[in-house]
Amino acid sequence: MDVDSIPQQTPEKIAQIDSADLVVGILSGVDLDGLLTLCDGLRALAGSPRTVVLQNVAIGGAASNSQAGDANSSVSLVPWSVLAPDPAASPIQSISTAYELLFAATQKLGARACCLIASQLENSTPDWICKLLNPLLSSEFDLVLPYFEPHKVHGLLNSSIVYPLTRCLYGKRIHNPLGPDVGVSRRLTQKLLGPNRNGGSAPTHPLASLTPGAVCGNMQICQVHAGTRIYPSMDWTNMSSLMAQVLGPIFLEMERWAACWQRTRGSAAVATFGDRISLPQETAELDLNRMIETFQLGVRDLQEIWSLVLPPATLFELRKLSRLAPDRVYMPDELWARIVYDFALAHRLRTINRDHLLRSMTPLYLAWVVSYAREFEIAGPMPVDQRIERLALAYEAAKPYFISRWRWPDRFNP
Amino acid sequence: MWDQIKQALHQSMAKFLTSLTHLLPGFIAIIVAVLVSFVLAWILAIMVRRLLTSIRFDERLNRWGFASIGDWSPMNSPTLLVSRTAAFLVIITGFLIGIAAFDAESTWLLIRSVFDYIPNIVGAMLVLLVGGIIASFLARSVLIGAVNLNLQYARLLSLGVKWMVMVLTVAMALDHLKIAPGIVELAFGILFGGIVLTLVLAIALNSRELVSKSLERDVKDVSKENIEEPFRHI
Repeated sequence: MDVDSIPQQTPEKIAQIDSADLVVGILSGVDLDGLLTLCDGLRALAGSPRTVVLQNVAIGGAASNSQAGDANSSVSLVPWSVLAPDPAASPIQSISTAYELLFAATQKLGARACCLIASQLENSTPDWICKLLNPLLSSEFDLVLPYFEPHKVHGLLNSSIVYPLTRCLYGKRIHNPLGPDVGVSRRLTQKLLGPNRNGGSAPTHPLASLTPGAVCGNMQICQVHAGTRIYPSMDWTNMSSLMAQVLGPIFLEMERWAACWQRTRGSAAVATFGDRISLPQETAELDLNRMIETFQLGVRDLQEIWSLVLPPATLFELRKLSRLAPDRVYMPDELWARIVYDFALAHRLRTINRDHLLRSMTPLYLAWVVSYAREFEIAGPMPVDQRIERLALAYEAAKPYFISRWRWPDRFNP
Repeated sequence: MWDQIKQALHQSMAKFLTSLTHLLPGFIAIIVAVLVSFVLAWILAIMVRRLLTSIRFDERLNRWGFASIGDWSPMNSPTLLVSRTAAFLVIITGFLIGIAAFDAESTWLLIRSVFDYIPNIVGAMLVLLVGGIIASFLARSVLIGAVNLNLQYARLLSLGVKWMVMVLTVAMALDHLKIAPGIVELAFGILFGGIVLTLVLAIALNSRELVSKSLERDVKDVSKENIEEPFRHI
């Protein structure tokens, strides 16, 4: 990505700046007051690094440099239009462009690191952004990711697939591998923007490339406790496009780094900074009956697609589950892990159209969500991270199965 | 009297033998052409079968959504269907070439018209093939989308879309073949309209809630939604 492709006036604004130590991109989650507080926080960082803050004009308006501080301030504000240049682009493409623009600006300005903020936190001040930047500046870390407190109901795609799969494949217990808030060193941006960034394969989402690229490139990774994230209300009836948007890039990265993750055994914790900030979580109601209906409908009508992806034993288990009374439907973690692996393999083999494949996984995901929610109903209050840890262990236990299927997909698999 | 009859019979016999000797090379040509085409067809069938087996054609067809082709294939194998069709076409071509050896003007005109018609047949087959692929793709998209929206009539909807595209495809293919264009147009209009009406009624009666929800979602702030959407679950 060339810096010239940065939309509207942003390239001229950046061209006026000779160099910087830090580039901070604000996609959302910081209002005008928060932005001014952030500028103060950035000025107070050790060594007063010269910082360029790219602020998304689509969210909450734009602050001027005079508002942010005096003309000689070490912090410069540059308005940033994230959704340009192609209004017809999908949201994931727009965000992908935003990450690439940020990395390109980091390269152009010769900055030591960059950071992108896209989520909103509960009871949090913009100071946490400075905490995200600290390991990049004071230590030799290349990738800093937030560690959001796991929520019972929100962020389940991360808890059920993204986290356990990343942990099991790449051997690092990174709780939010897709950020979306990230701190990235210049070394890692160079690697991501380098000529072999996609290894000749289809372009992927830069967020999905970050963690695998950093782990397989032997770079230093850490997490920062970021508190509880505020999740916008979720439309459970329209999950399939989200599944396709999120899992597609992850499965592509899996294909790209196959040689690396096949050598990895077990998993290890990564350095984690800050203190856990646990707040009482509001309970959100899930329409479990509707989810079970979707699963049962999937078992009835999507058999012909699933039979191309899943082995007979798994299909048999699913049929058995669908015949149970709605209050007894329970998908074991081991079964769920194998389903995810089988879909990842089918994605690699292009068994069917990839978009169809990922969308057809939705009823199975809903069945797992139902089982997960039921466990909390039956067992009462229990720490969410314990439950997620159990799932991650199931993924790790099933990894030999996945490696075997990945290497010999044609081998008989009952 | 008897001599006259004898002479007439001789003349008839001579005429018959002359005609037979004129026809005999044609017959031999047909037999040779058919025999050669049989041999060629056999070789071609083996080659096609081996090629399709090596690329796992049957499996691929299933993946592409053409599983139903197996039902009306010999031994449930689309590979056999394709190889036998190729062989049959070679035999037919050999037979037509053999007939052309008769050198009769009417036979030649018949053969010419058959060969002139071949581009139409090939065109129609291509239309059917592309239509079939599009129909399967759309049917699968609709099926998955409808299941994810928890629509109990997902399969009906998917079948409706598949048949709508197939009816359109068959009508186009028949039009290409110039077979009863008037009737095809009329039948197509009635069938297509019927399927659309059925689907509209099915959707309208079952999905009022869904449509109202969808409209509500549309009036929300699109720009903010666009940014937040992919991050909601991660």
